[in-house]
Amino acid sequence: MKLKNILTLILTFGIVGAFAQVDRSKLPEPATPRPINIGDYESFELKNGLKVFIIENHKLPRVSFNLLVDREAILEADKAGYLGMVGQLMQRGTETRTKEQIDEEVDFIGASLFAGSTNVFASGLSKYSEKILELMTDVAFNPTFPEEELEKIRKQTLSGLAQAKDNPGAIAGNLNQALVYGANHPYGEIQTEETTNNILIDDLKSYHATYFKPNISYLAIVGDVDVKKMKKMVKTYFGSWEAGEVPTPTYDTPKSPEKTKVGIVNRASSVQSVVNITYPAILPVGSDDEIKVRVMNQILGGSFSGKLNMNLREDKGYTYGSRSSLSSDELVSRFNANADVRNEVTDSAIVQMIYELNQMRNGEITEEELELAKNSIAGSFSQSLERPQTVANFALNTAIYNLSADYYNTYLQKVQAVTIDDVKAIAQKYLKPDNAYINVVGKASEVAESLKQFGELTYYDTYGNEVDPSLSKLPEGLTAEDVIEKYLKAIGGKEKIEALNSVQMKMEASMMGNTINIEATKMAPNKSIQVVKMGGNVVQKQVFDGEKGASSGMRGSQKVEGDAAKDMAVSSAIIEEVAMMEIGISIKLSAVENIDGSDAYGVEVSMPSGKKSTRYYDSESGLLVRTTNVVEGPTGAMTLSTDYNNYEEFEGIKFPTLIIQPMGSQKMNINVTEVIVNGDVDASKFLVE
Amino acid sequence: MRNTLTLICIFALLGANAQEKRIDFVEYDLDNGLHVILHQDNSTPIVNVSVLYHVGSKNEPDGRTGFAHFFEHLMFEGSPNIERGSFFKIIQNAGGQLNANTSFDRTFYYETLPSHQLELGLYMESERMLHAKIDSTGVATQKEVVKEEKRTRIDNQPYMSFQAKIFGKAYEGTPYSWTPIGSFEDIDAATDQDFKDFFDTFYVPNNATLSIAGDIQIEETKKLIDKYFAEIPKGTKNIPRPEIKAPDLGGEVREEVFDNVQLPGVFQAYRMAEQGSDDYYAMQMLTTLLSGGQSSRFQKEIVDNQELAAFVGSFPFALEDGGLFISLGLVNVGKTPEELEEAMMTEIERVKTEDISDREFQKLKNQIENNFVSSNSTVRGIAESLADYHVYYGDANLINSEIDRYMAVTKEDIKRVAKKYLTPDNRVTLYYLPKSAQQKPEDEKLDDQ
Repeated sequence: MKLKNILTLILTFGIVGAFAQVDRSKLPEPATPRPINIGDYESFELKNGLKVFIIENHKLPRVSFNLLVDREAILEADKAGYLGMVGQLMQRGTETRTKEQIDEEVDFIGASLFAGSTNVFASGLSKYSEKILELMTDVAFNPTFPEEELEKIRKQTLSGLAQAKDNPGAIAGNLNQALVYGANHPYGEIQTEETTNNILIDDLKSYHATYFKPNISYLAIVGDVDVKKMKKMVKTYFGSWEAGEVPTPTYDTPKSPEKTKVGIVNRASSVQSVVNITYPAILPVGSDDEIKVRVMNQILGGSFSGKLNMNLREDKGYTYGSRSSLSSDELVSRFNANADVRNEVTDSAIVQMIYELNQMRNGEITEEELELAKNSIAGSFSQSLERPQTVANFALNTAIYNLSADYYNTYLQKVQAVTIDDVKAIAQKYLKPDNAYINVVGKASEVAESLKQFGELTYYDTYGNEVDPSLSKLPEGLTAEDVIEKYLKAIGGKEKIEALNSVQMKMEASMMGNTINIEATKMAPNKSIQVVKMGGNVVQKQVFDGEKGASSGMRGSQKVEGDAAKDMAVSSAIIEEVAMMEIGISIKLSAVENIDGSDAYGVEVSMPSGKKSTRYYDSESGLLVRTTNVVEGPTGAMTLSTDYNNYEEFEGIKFPTLIIQPMGSQKMNINVTEVIVNGDVDASKFLVE
Repeated sequence: MRNTLTLICIFALLGANAQEKRIDFVEYDLDNGLHVILHQDNSTPIVNVSVLYHVGSKNEPDGRTGFAHFFEHLMFEGSPNIERGSFFKIIQNAGGQLNANTSFDRTFYYETLPSHQLELGLYMESERMLHAKIDSTGVATQKEVVKEEKRTRIDNQPYMSFQAKIFGKAYEGTPYSWTPIGSFEDIDAATDQDFKDFFDTFYVPNNATLSIAGDIQIEETKKLIDKYFAEIPKGTKNIPRPEIKAPDLGGEVREEVFDNVQLPGVFQAYRMAEQGSDDYYAMQMLTTLLSGGQSSRFQKEIVDNQELAAFVGSFPFALEDGGLFISLGLVNVGKTPEELEEAMMTEIERVKTEDISDREFQKLKNQIENNFVSSNSTVRGIAESLADYHVYYGDANLINSEIDRYMAVTKEDIKRVAKKYLTPDNRVTLYYLPKSAQQKPEDEKLDDQ
C-alpha cells in the first residue's frame, strides 16, 4: 500500500519534468472511481390518485412530461391491433383543436408531443412549461377520435401488414408469440388484416374512457423547473381529472413445454433459416435473480463478444450474428436465442446454440468473460445517468414495481458481486434447452427432416396456426415430367398445342397512376415481340427472331446474344414447356406449396444460361399458377413471384387472364384484354437489326 | 416605441438565458501545435475524450478517393503497444464506448469512459496519433471490412446511392464530387507508401484538436495531456487545403435511377453557401419553414392534405466550402413522382413570392431556439461541437453564441436566399424508380403462353 503511494508520487513528480519518459508499454492504471450519484427527486400524490415525480435538473432550460397509464395487459381478441391506434388518433383531434391546430401550436413553441395507448409524452423549453402542459392534457383528456382519421391510419396499417407477410423475421415473431404465450394471452395475440378491419372507432373511444384514469397513472416531470410552481401547475391541469375503477384482468401464466418441441413455418423460397430457441420464464422486475440473469445473458449472448456470436459467427461462420435475451416482466418473461443461418447448416447451428446453453449450465465460464460482461453493464449504467430521464425511469420503476428504495443505488455493487458460481446457478435455473420451443422459418424440403432430432416437429402457417404437414408432401413417384405433361393436357392437349401458329395478346395494367399497355405476339416455333407503352409512349420493346434478340428501353437498346439468347429461345415459344421438353432443359420436382388455399407442385427449371426459376402447377387442375425466381434485394436474397389466375379458353387453349406481378412491396395486376390465336401476323415484325 | 421596448426585453431575456446555461471551456495549444479544448462538468462521473483531425474526403489526392475514411478504420488497428484487434476490447473492458466518423471535411474519433479512466482515453488517442500501426496486414484486413461497410450501408440500401450521384453532378470537377466512402478501385490501387504519406501529412498534432468534456479537473487534465501528447512530433509536411470553386451548373441536371426501392423517390439538390455564412443561417431557417415539425409547409400540404408523399423533407447539407440544400420525398402509392415534384416546387415558389406571417416566422425562431438549446445535452455532443466550432469557424465560443446569428435572420433574408439558390439552373434532380418497374417489361414471365 505504502509502496504504491510512493510509486504514484514518483510518477506524478515525473510528469512535471520536461523530459518525462512515459511508459507506453502498458495501459495506464485507472484512478479511484468517483461515486455514482443518482439524482434526487420529489414525489407527491394528487387527491385523484395521480402519482407525480419531479426531477429537477437545471443543466439545460428544458422540460419533459411523461404521463404513464399503468394498466394491466389487455386482450384485444378479434380486434388485435386496436391499442396501437389509440395514441395516433388522440393526436388527431380534440374537442377544441383539429389535428392541424395541435400540430401548429406544438411547433410554434418548438415542442414535441407524442401519445400512445399507455402514455403521453411532451417536451420543450422550460419557459413554455404551462403551454406544453395545456396541449398535452388536451390530447390526453379530450380526444374526439375522428372517424376519417381512423380510416387513414387503417390504410397505412394494412399496407404494413401486407409487407410483413413475406418477411421471415415477422413470421418468426408471430410463431414465437403464438407458441410461447398462446392466443389467449395478451402477449400472444397477432394482428391480421381481419382483426385490423374489425376495429371500430368506438373501440378506441371506450378504451380511452375506461383506462385513462389518474388512480392508475404516474406523471414524471424532468428538467428545468421550480418544484413549488410545478406542483401548482400540476394541480391545475391534472387536479380535475376524475378517478374511476379500472378492470384488472388476470391471466394464466404460460408454461414451458414438457419436452423440447420443434415448430416450422415452411417458406419454400428461403435461402436462410430463421432460428429461435424460446420459452416463457418467470422473472419479475426487481426480483433477486434479475441482475444475475442480466450478467448471465450478457455472457451468453448479450453482445458481439457473447458466447453464441463467438461460436456461430466468429468460429463457425454460420451466421452474421447470434444473440440471446431475457428481460424482466411483471406478467411473464421470455427467453430467446436466435440466429439466421444458411439452410444447410440449420441443424448444426441449433446443435451449437444448445451446446452454448449447456456450457453456461455447466459453469464453463472464464473470469475474463465475467469481467468483460460486468464492466460493459457498469459502463452503460453510468453513461445512462447523464440523461436526467434515467433518474425519472428509476423513480417510476421503484414506485410501479415496489422496488427497495436503494435498488438502483446499489445496482452496480450487485453487478460486481456476481460470481461464476452465481452465473452457473442462474443458468441452471433459467436456461432450459430441454423444455424449449425450437422455431424455424425456412425451406421445409431442405431443413425439416434434420430438425426431428431435436423434438416432435409441427408445421405452422405465417400467423402461428397449426397446419397439416401431409399437405406439404410430394406424392411418391411423382416426377417433374408428370407435372408438365398434366399441365399440357390441362391447357388443351398436344393436338391443340401443335396446331398453334401464333398468339397475339393485349394486356393492361396501372402503375403509379399511369396506364400501361402491353402487346405480346408470338409465332411458332419461337419468334416473339413485346411492346410496352406507358401513356401512349413506347417505354420497352423486346424482340426475338428465333436466333437472336434485342431489347430497348429507358436504358437504351441492347442485343440479346449468347446464353441470354438461348434462354429467350425457350421463353419465346408459344408454350414454354413444349420448348423446355424439346431441348431437354434440366427440370426437377422441388416442393409442394400451398398457393391461395390449394397445393401446387414446384418444378425447378435450370435455363441454358444457368438461371434458375421455379414453376408451380396446381395439384388438381394441373395449370401453371405461379413462377418464382430469387433476386438480390436490399436485405439479401428475396423471392419474386408472379401469379397466373382466371384461365379462359381461346380456340381450345387455356390462357391466364389475370397476371399478378410484384412491384416493390406492392402487387401489380395485369389484365389480359384480348387474345387472338392463329390470327394474321406479319413475320417481318420479328426482324432484329 | 412599444415595439422597441419589447425587442429590448427579448434581447435581455436571451442574454440572461445564454449566460445562465453557458458552456464554459478553456483552450490552448501545445508546442507541437495540438489544439486542446476542455469543458468541465462534474455532474456525472463520465468523460468524453475526442480527437478531430482536419482531414476529410476533400483532401484526398486524385485517384485515392475513400482514403480519409479508410484511415478512420486503420486507426483502430492498434500501435506498437496496442495489439491488433484489442483497441475496442480495452475501451469496452474499461466500461467505455467508442466510435469514429468521417465527413467531406474532417475525421472524428471519440471514447466515452467512466471518468476515472480519463488517462486511458488519453493514452489510447495519443498512441494512435504518435504511431498508429500502418502495415500491410492491417491494410488488407480493413480493405475487406470497408467494402462490407459500403455494401451494407450504401450499395444494399434503397436510395442511398443518391449522395454519391448528387454530389457527383453538383460538384463535378472538384474534390466534393466524391463522397467519403470513395471507390474500391482507388483503395485497392493504393500502396503502403501512400498510406504512410497520408498519415505523416494529416495525422499530426498541428492538424488535430483534442476536445474533452465531462467529469475532469482542468489542471490535472492538462498535466495528463502533456504526459501523453507533448512528445508527439509536429508534422513537417505542408497540409494541403483545396479551395473548392465549382463552375456554374449551366442548367438543371436530371437523371432517373432504377433501384431496389418500394416507393419512387424525388431528390433535388441546390448548391448553397458555405456553412457559417449569413446565407447559410437563412437557409437553416428556410429548411425549418419547409420541413420542421408536423405543421411545416411540406408536411402539412404534401403529406397531410394532398397525401402525395409517404415522407417529404429538406435539409441543408452544409460543408466547409459550400454544400447542398437537399429536398426529397417518397411518393405515396398511387401517386407519381411528377405530382410530388410539382407540389414541392409550389411550396418553394410560395416562399419566393409570399411574405411569411409574423406568427409563422416566430414559430421558426422558437423551433431554432429549441433545437439549439437541446443540441448540447451530452458530454459527447459538447466535445464534438466545441471541436467543430473551433476548426470550422475558429471560435469555440459559438457553442454559446451561434444562436445570435440565427436570430439575426429576417423574413426578407429567407425570401432572398430562396430566390438566390433554389432555382432550376442551380439544381440536380434525381428520380428513384423501382427496379421492378424497369424490369417488368423485359421479364420473361410475361411472355408465358
